[in-house]
Amino acid sequence: MTVALFVTCVSDTFCPRVGEAVVRVLRHCGCDVRFPARQTCCGQPAYNSGFHSEAAELARRMIAIFEPYEYVVTPSASCAMMVRQHYPQLLADEPGWRKAADRLAAKTYEFTSFLREVPEFDVSANLRFNEAVTFHYPCHAREFYSARDLEALLSRVPGVDLRTPRPVDLCCGFGGIFAVDHAEISGAMMGDKLESLSQTGAGLVICDEGGCALNLAGGAHRRGTSLRFRHIAECLAESLGLMEAEE
Amino acid sequence: MNLQDFLSSLTKRGGGDRERTPLPDDLESAVRQVDGNVDLIGVFAASAEAAGARVRRTSGADWLTAIAGILGDLDATRICTQAAEVGFLSRARSAELSEHLRDSGMTVSTDTGDDELFSADASITGVSAAIAETGTVVCESGPNAARGASLIPPVHVAVVGAAQIIPDLCDYFEQLPGGPELPANVNLITGPSKTADIEGTLVTGVHGPGKLFIVVVATAS
Amino acid sequence: MSASTPFQQRVAAAVADKRVVRAVHLATLKKVEAREAGMDQLRDFEQIRSLAAQVKQHTLDYLPRYLEQFVEQIEGRGGAVHFAPDAEAARRIICDIATSRGLKRVVKSKSMTSEEIHLNQALEAVGLRPVETDLGEFIVQIDHDTPSHIVTPIIHKDRRQIALAMQRELGCEYTEDPTELTMIARRHLREIFRNCDLGISGVNFGVAETGTLCICTNEGNGRLTVSRPRVHVALMGIEKVIPRMRDLPVFLKLLARSSTGQPLTVYTTLISGPKRLQDADGPEELHVVLMDAGRSDIWAGEFREVLRCIRCGACLNACPVYRNIGGHAYGSVYPGPIGALLTPLLHPAGGHEELPRASSLCGACGVACPVKIDIPDLLVRLRAQTHRSHPLAKRVAMRMWLWAMKSPLVFRLGQRLLRGLLKDGGDGWATDGPGPLRAWTQPRDLPIPPKRSFRAIWQAELSNEDKRG
Ligand code: SF4
Repeated sequence: MTVALFVTCVSDTFCPRVGEAVVRVLRHCGCDVRFPARQTCCGQPAYNSGFHSEAAELARRMIAIFEPYEYVVTPSASCAMMVRQHYPQLLADEPGWRKAADRLAAKTYEFTSFLREVPEFDVSANLRFNEAVTFHYPCHAREFYSARDLEALLSRVPGVDLRTPRPVDLCCGFGGIFAVDHAEISGAMMGDKLESLSQTGAGLVICDEGGCALNLAGGAHRRGTSLRFRHIAECLAESLGLMEAEE
Repeated sequence: MNLQDFLSSLTKRGGGDRERTPLPDDLESAVRQVDGNVDLIGVFAASAEAAGARVRRTSGADWLTAIAGILGDLDATRICTQAAEVGFLSRARSAELSEHLRDSGMTVSTDTGDDELFSADASITGVSAAIAETGTVVCESGPNAARGASLIPPVHVAVVGAAQIIPDLCDYFEQLPGGPELPANVNLITGPSKTADIEGTLVTGVHGPGKLFIVVVATAS
Repeated sequence: MSASTPFQQRVAAAVADKRVVRAVHLATLKKVEAREAGMDQLRDFEQIRSLAAQVKQHTLDYLPRYLEQFVEQIEGRGGAVHFAPDAEAARRIICDIATSRGLKRVVKSKSMTSEEIHLNQALEAVGLRPVETDLGEFIVQIDHDTPSHIVTPIIHKDRRQIALAMQRELGCEYTEDPTELTMIARRHLREIFRNCDLGISGVNFGVAETGTLCICTNEGNGRLTVSRPRVHVALMGIEKVIPRMRDLPVFLKLLARSSTGQPLTVYTTLISGPKRLQDADGPEELHVVLMDAGRSDIWAGEFREVLRCIRCGACLNACPVYRNIGGHAYGSVYPGPIGALLTPLLHPAGGHEELPRASSLCGACGVACPVKIDIPDLLVRLRAQTHRSHPLAKRVAMRMWLWAMKSPLVFRLGQRLLRGLLKDGGDGWATDGPGPLRAWTQPRDLPIPPKRSFRAIWQAELSNEDKRG
């Protein structure tokens, strides 16, 4: 099957390793992975800020770029939600585009949901951790899986020492432009999240959202907290021997 | 301003082309938590205790001594009861109760005026229903059934006939009459008066009774 | 982007007040757990939530009809109904009821609607001294404070502050023990209840079918307020009506669970008209003040579902923003996620544009809401309505960003420019971002982007690799 990777602007710029890992795991599962080079951003920053005609411009662009492919996979639940939920809403009054938006929505997947639903790849069975691990549940994953689902998925990893954070689904305070417009609040929320993660005693945090990871890793670095953040794709690629472990 | 003028800010704008949500008719299949096929007294007692009430299960033979015992343990001497016939507390049983308490050395008043209610150590009322699901007792206003009786004294003893226990909250609302028979004031009472306003610390008896005793009487019939 | 708006100034102060932040964290996290435990007792709470949302939405969709029925029923039972198109009318009606009858000793049970219209000030202006009798509201009143939560008004106060206020205002001995403090308030208010002649309450639900007012309370002050005085005035927003008596359990099973985790509040009081002739006690007069005050504007627009709110407070408890800034920062009687919607909707010209923007859109509120109000989605819609009110610089930045995102070439240049602009602190991190990124690096660092972006890696190697890696 042909899968177009939507790497997202954040991963493209700040954590290309996540994109690389996604490509390698998808290939491992037998996918023919393509990367439409004209892709940029899904438009969520504009959408969430209320600039909806601007967001719609980017939506139309994205729809056209990904139209030719069988599946679209992205490492970000948030961007997947933007495409699946908000594109059809944004283009509701433009019948032609609306149909195209529905088509794109139907074939766009967040990474782990794709593995589970399409190649039916058992993520848990193929993961290995050699240290205690905790996780950040990205709020926008709600569309695709619950915090309890993620906890269950990780708890099935052979030999895992999983430390569930409390509260299990606490927001990290990122929220896109919110992190800049309301840095004070965002920073306080980030502090709560880092504390709840630190309290688990695990050093490795599974974090499947580029924006959240950027925020939390930035906060951890500022505070000198020794938490490391990895996308599940990176962990999978490493466990499967598709990528070297990072430092 | 009259009703029609008041409503005109709605009716003028209508929003008539909007899709309207229908009123669901079957509420019960989702809402009901407890049906009649359980040990109603047991479920009721557990729920009421969980809400902070204290439940005594008695028989037709020992309910009087149970109530006297509760009040005696509290050193309560001034007791208010209701003159009204409510639920299990028929006129005859109320009289029996008053006599029993007087014999135990207590002062019993069936007057529910302010002087009595504000100085009473405890009140005793019948209930019009009890709800197993939530451990709730229901007190309805009426002639000789004062709103203050289950509210003002620091201790409330509610006497429940076992047959009065209905399974679920929705059963109570289903049977409530809609016409003029609907009492002006109905109170569903679930546990003693509570607050957690100060640092989340639970304190009972802030305005209403701090102690709620429920005496369930299972008569032979 | 600097702390320039009044809202941002309040936020800065709130975030810095560690004592309040800690108190609010403890209380809300406890309530989140209690709510979840309460919901887990139900066979299928999702189904009940759906029903509650549907019943309330239905009522709103046929609101004039249900209000008419409600009014007719109350009047049929001997109650009076007054119509207040705005807050001023509501205040006037209530003050008139008091003054025209010579009612002087006024007790109040907790009512957010009365807070909304600042009723106490109006009553004081005509020479009355209304006494708040809910313990939390009583403390707010004697400490000249304002509530910071719609269910737990003094969530921001600790026992020391409460003890000081009680000692100062009531002349009692200083104690920090919550039970003792509560009993001092009980004794004080008991005398007031014994002699009051006007009771003012809010309403949780108004049953159209029977004209019944349903009031849910825990302390008993609500019951005293509606049964002790000669006159009972109930103030209610037009959105509080529901169709039938048998709809009540749908909401009752959710309301207390959502608020505090209790299966039911201690007292669920149903009031259907004033005292009957032979009743042993009770108010001789019942006045229901139906208030619009901006609700019909919300009703007529795209935010109607906001009016489903039953004021349970679950969205406040669940909200990580509320947890960190507390209620006062919102600058409105309705704080938290529901406040971020209601406040600007009730006061469109009030300069509250910033409230809906102060959210990470994490969605915890929407998950907690017992009537399934899609709060995050509505926040975004509200942002869309006011996006033109952003400062020019921001709007220009948005256009430039859009332009960059529409061209892969500019996008790539932008990536490179960013790398160039960030000052590497020596370990691959920037601690002081340029321009708009300065706010980003206020609480956190920013990694220097790797030399090669994903698209560069793809082009150089990944695209050519053998499929099997
Ligand atoms: S919006 Fe929902 S969760 Fe928030 S107070 Fe209203 S009913 Fe409760």
